[in-house]
Amino acid sequence: MAETKRNRNVGPANRKKKKNKQSNWKKGPHLPNALQKQLDALNPRNDDDDEEIIRSDDDLYEYEEKLPEEESKKNRRYDPVENFEYELPEDFEDEDVASDDEDGDEGFKKEDCDDNDEDEEDDDGDDYDDKKHARMLQDITGLPGAAFEGKKKKSNVIVYESYPEAESNPTHDINNDGRVTIDDFLNPLHGKSGFSKLRKDAARLDKKSKSILPPLPKPQQEKIDRKTAYIQTKKRLTEYEPLVKENRERRTIYFNEDIDLGNSTVGAIVSEFRPRTDFEKKMDLLINAKELSDAHQGDGARLLELNQVSAEDVKERQDRFAKMRNLLFRHELKSKRIKHIKSKTYRRLLKKDKSKVGSTDTEMDPEVAKELAVKQEFKRAEERMTLKHKNTSKWAKRIKKRGFDVQDDGTRAAISEQLQQHALLTRKRNSMHEDDDSSDASMDDDDDDDDVISGDDDDEASKLKFLENGKKRTLELLEEDDDTPKSGLLSLPFMARGQKKKKDAADEEARLALQEFESSLKQLEGDDDLNNNIGSVGGRKVFGAQKKPVPQSKIKVNNKEKDNYFDNSESEDDADITEDVKDKRDQIITKKDVPIDTNILREESEVGHDPLFDDISKVSGPKIAYEVSLFSTNTSKKKRSMKDDDSNQVKSEKKAKANKSKAKAKKSKVAELASNKETDIEHGDEDSDTDGETRMVDGVITSGTDYELPSQDDLIKRAFAGDDVEGDFEMAKQEVMNEENPEPEKPVLLPGWGDWTHKQKKRGLPAWMVEEHERAKRKRDEDLKKRPDAHLKHVIISEKVDKKAEKLQMKVLPYPFKNKEHFEQSNRMPLGPEFNPATALGALNQPEVVKKPGVSIQPIKLKKGKK
Amino acid sequence: MDIHDVSDDLEIKVKKYQRGQGADLESLKDKKLKGQLAVKEDLFKKSANAAAKAEKWLMQTEEGRLEPEGLEKTWRFSQQSIANEVDVASRKNQFDLVLPDLGPYTLDYTSSGRYMVSAGRKGHLSIIDLHTLKPIKDMQVGETVRDAVFLHNELFFAAAQKKYTYIYNRAGSELHCLKEHGSVLKLQFLKNHFLLSSINKFGQLHYQDITTGQMIGNYRTGLGRSDVLQLNPYNSVLASGHSGGTVSMWKPTSPAPLVKMLCHRGPVTAIAFHSNGHLMATAGMDKKLKIWDLRKYKAVQTLPGMAKSLDFSQKGMLAASTGSFVQVLATSDSQDYSRYMIHTMAKGYQISKVLFRPYEDVLGIGHSSGLSSILIPGSGEPNFDSWVANPYETLKQRREKEVRVLLDKLPPESIMLDPTQIGNLRNTRKQEKQTKEEKEAEKAAAVAAAKNVSLKKKTKGRSKPSKVARKKQEGIELAKRSFVEQNKEDGAAKKKQKRITDASDLPAALQPFVSRKRS
Repeated sequence: MAETKRNRNVGPANRKKKKNKQSNWKKGPHLPNALQKQLDALNPRNDDDDEEIIRSDDDLYEYEEKLPEEESKKNRRYDPVENFEYELPEDFEDEDVASDDEDGDEGFKKEDCDDNDEDEEDDDGDDYDDKKHARMLQDITGLPGAAFEGKKKKSNVIVYESYPEAESNPTHDINNDGRVTIDDFLNPLHGKSGFSKLRKDAARLDKKSKSILPPLPKPQQEKIDRKTAYIQTKKRLTEYEPLVKENRERRTIYFNEDIDLGNSTVGAIVSEFRPRTDFEKKMDLLINAKELSDAHQGDGARLLELNQVSAEDVKERQDRFAKMRNLLFRHELKSKRIKHIKSKTYRRLLKKDKSKVGSTDTEMDPEVAKELAVKQEFKRAEERMTLKHKNTSKWAKRIKKRGFDVQDDGTRAAISEQLQQHALLTRKRNSMHEDDDSSDASMDDDDDDDDVISGDDDDEASKLKFLENGKKRTLELLEEDDDTPKSGLLSLPFMARGQKKKKDAADEEARLALQEFESSLKQLEGDDDLNNNIGSVGGRKVFGAQKKPVPQSKIKVNNKEKDNYFDNSESEDDADITEDVKDKRDQIITKKDVPIDTNILREESEVGHDPLFDDISKVSGPKIAYEVSLFSTNTSKKKRSMKDDDSNQVKSEKKAKANKSKAKAKKSKVAELASNKETDIEHGDEDSDTDGETRMVDGVITSGTDYELPSQDDLIKRAFAGDDVEGDFEMAKQEVMNEENPEPEKPVLLPGWGDWTHKQKKRGLPAWMVEEHERAKRKRDEDLKKRPDAHLKHVIISEKVDKKAEKLQMKVLPYPFKNKEHFEQSNRMPLGPEFNPATALGALNQPEVVKKPGVSIQPIKLKKGKK
Repeated sequence: MDIHDVSDDLEIKVKKYQRGQGADLESLKDKKLKGQLAVKEDLFKKSANAAAKAEKWLMQTEEGRLEPEGLEKTWRFSQQSIANEVDVASRKNQFDLVLPDLGPYTLDYTSSGRYMVSAGRKGHLSIIDLHTLKPIKDMQVGETVRDAVFLHNELFFAAAQKKYTYIYNRAGSELHCLKEHGSVLKLQFLKNHFLLSSINKFGQLHYQDITTGQMIGNYRTGLGRSDVLQLNPYNSVLASGHSGGTVSMWKPTSPAPLVKMLCHRGPVTAIAFHSNGHLMATAGMDKKLKIWDLRKYKAVQTLPGMAKSLDFSQKGMLAASTGSFVQVLATSDSQDYSRYMIHTMAKGYQISKVLFRPYEDVLGIGHSSGLSSILIPGSGEPNFDSWVANPYETLKQRREKEVRVLLDKLPPESIMLDPTQIGNLRNTRKQEKQTKEEKEAEKAAAVAAAKNVSLKKKTKGRSKPSKVARKKQEGIELAKRSFVEQNKEDGAAKKKQKRITDASDLPAALQPFVSRKRS
């Protein structure tokens, strides 16, 4: 059995490993050979180790090896003699039996192999057996033991016995020499019944018998398991490879294409409905009752029959409805009543709210405002007709009769309130247009008088007051001016001079202003006489107060227009004219004292009306009007106008003449206008217009007033101004190049640095500096050569980097690309629907993955057909 | 043979739609990329084929041309003789509007060619519907009008008046007054970018975004007063001509001209661009008319003669006007421009502007006593794309288009000499170095950012103030360190560069041993 146990199948790799292991084990004290051998005899395992080492060293140690073998025999102290002698003959026989079929030599060889195997397997005492065996062989063959050793060396691997030595597993000492074979057991049975059969079986077994491997240590076993598992899995996975490759190479992967999400129509869903709950089942039972369906199948008569309701049922139903209706009706009534009960305060607040909303509406929406105005007008008319609130009622009359003094406060308040209401109602409502205008006017003149004229009901009194105020303030300032600082910066002579100059100017101005105030005061007083019948309540709006500032401002606006359009020199003249005009108009107004509609005035003054001028006038208007009272510094114009005031008549005529002549030359109709003295206002405007036209088309028609003949030198210069264009361009190009590729700075040493001896001075700049400069120069030259415009003499192509445009370009090549060309050519094609036909668009813009929403993606399945 | 011709034609069209050659994939080593690119290229080809076929079948109308027989010359055909031959609808396009009082007139068409705005120098503005030949609005502003252009559609137009530029709507009401432009001499509208550009008396160039009102650019040309400003329709670059004979090209995001060319030896009087963007025609006071190839910046043709106004038609004909004489040049088989037609106005009429009407064979002429319109066979594009410009636009279409065009508005920085460069790799040949201040600023910003980082609230004492402070400090250090490293890298690069230049200094004998990797 031991023989069968021996491992023949252990591969060479396995053996090698073991050898290595053993060589690793050789440790401990280095003993002299003789001693070692003795020890070996005692402890065969150690010896085996040694042997192993020697063997691994191949033929070199062969010779030496022999000696210890023999010596070991001699040195042995005791022999397991019985064993040896007992086994020898059996072994011998055994060998004989085994070698029966083959040649002797081969048999030996085989045996040797076996022995080797045994050696490999035996943990302990195998060496010992070896020796015995060798001795035996020596005895038999008469050859020295060394003859067999060589073979032994070559393949001597130890295989461990995994079971402890026991009777069931006898040591190899016992069955080493004479292995107990089946035959041994069978021989005694020879001739007995069933022997042949048994022998056949044994032979068969022998033939088939394979040595059973001892189980490997666990880690090794697991390793092998893993290995095989890996191989297997790999094989299985490689089956997927083509599928995965295909998926990878596909432009678009479609997932779950074949999944049917079911029909989504309502009908389809309904048709699949199955009653589940009790209620549903009950309903189903009723609906799909046999009776009903039959009735539907047949004619309608049966249906009618089924429809019949008992009279009681009907009655009950009617009663129920009646009750419900009654309840509803009552509730309605109640709520109606409740809705009508509202406190006084509530009403008042409501009213207030409403009015508030209305007022905001009017601001927002011109339509609403218009409506409101109409309503107001209607109310006013009504009030004026009925005089409902003018103490005409019975109650009021009675109170009047009884006398106001007798009444209590409440009644008096009520009466006064009524009167107030009357006043309010009868007051004339301003139209939208007038509103605009008045606000304009106030814009024009309310710079300084915001405290006096508040709101838009500016009446004579307030005007008067305001003028007087202005006068007073001017006078005050005039008086105040005298004190000058005696010390400090302002007392310095030149400062004082400057101050004085300034003050003089201001005084002059103030005086003029005073004059104006007075004149206007006078005029207002005149107005007062006419307008004093108007009460302070102001039932009707009067525009008399506005007439002065308005035209003036308008004229100023005209002035401004001219400023915008034409040269200043003209505008000054025009200012004069407009001042004239203003005065005249003032006179007219004061004479006639007719309330003039500002709209008409405006239309008059703004013949060439343009929306642009509106905002100009708004902006500039207030600045000009009444700046005197503000004591602003830029009042020269004003001053001038005032100065010219007295001589305006003459000047205006002059101007008119001048205009006339000009206009004649240009075939305009100013001549007619000039003769028309009544329409002086228009004249002023027209004048400005014509002036404008002459100037307007510059280059085509020029009214060359300030054109000077250029000198000869000038003319020549101009004639040849652009002559050397090429040179200029060259220069420009050089400049650009210098800017974009700046020239390297010339190397310089710090003054005084390194030049205290003339030697160093002679040597000049250090070599590295010069070199660097040279290098920089060369680099610049190269850069210049690389410029796209290097070979184009007449072109400068800017190399400046546009930082804003940089974001539209890639900084680095995107990943798979290695070559700029490939990348750029791959995105040369626009992908939008505007640039591609519809048929190709889908393919160009295909998504990478197409899947149905809400459906999970299943893992790949290997299709059987594909392998 | 006919079939062959057709296929040839198709091939040309396919080539046009392929927009250049595909990359050479053979040199690619990356197999995956190679496969992807091959697929892409295939798709491009398919798309181009489909587009070419669509063009072939859908855009069948071909432009006509005057074809002389025998000894006839095309320029001998007068407008009268053409009028006798053409249909009534085309004859309608021949007209003279005599407006002697408020001239000289300049004009502009909408991109569809349906509407015309004309501006008389003395303040006459009018919009005319050219299909019905009825004026939509006729008004007088009472001051000099130097130029008028339509904005994105016929509803709005801008007029450069004496002092300011104004935007009016179709009804003639003033919508905006553009004061910043100053007294403008010439206006141009960049319709893809919604930019109104102008050049004023002082040679200042302004770009204003008309959707937001923002002033995009305000640059002085520094080359003096100029009233020659022309848009290159291909790349939206503006070209201005100057008295020094130079033409400079501008974009709204750079204060320096992109290109400056010396085109003439005298002042430049007119510029025109071909719609493909490759050709530019300039005329100067030096009695020369030059046609330039803008890819090479070289004159391809120089013709004698003055021109006060130039314009390229959609099909590439070039109209030039001098005095009361209009000349139309066209290319024949050779690429050279030669005389195609001439037209003479009544004597004394000074032509101030010639402009081809889009999608019609019509040349509009603005002159000192009105407007004229003549027929130039073969000048206009016969097929219109209703998505681009539709002469028969309905109200609804116009509204839709306005919204669409606004959505497709391009940012001003997308204007560049070569618009195909958008999306491509940046040209890194010349990198702008960061100045020290910029670096400092960047560093400061990074440190500030590191300081302001809010740390997460953590439990178990990990958010102790000391820890938080330490962490913050670490962050700041990290931010700083990156800059230090960058500096080091810069230094290294410098060193390297030095070495390289050193290598090139080597004697010739040693140069073969310098490693090739460098270059």
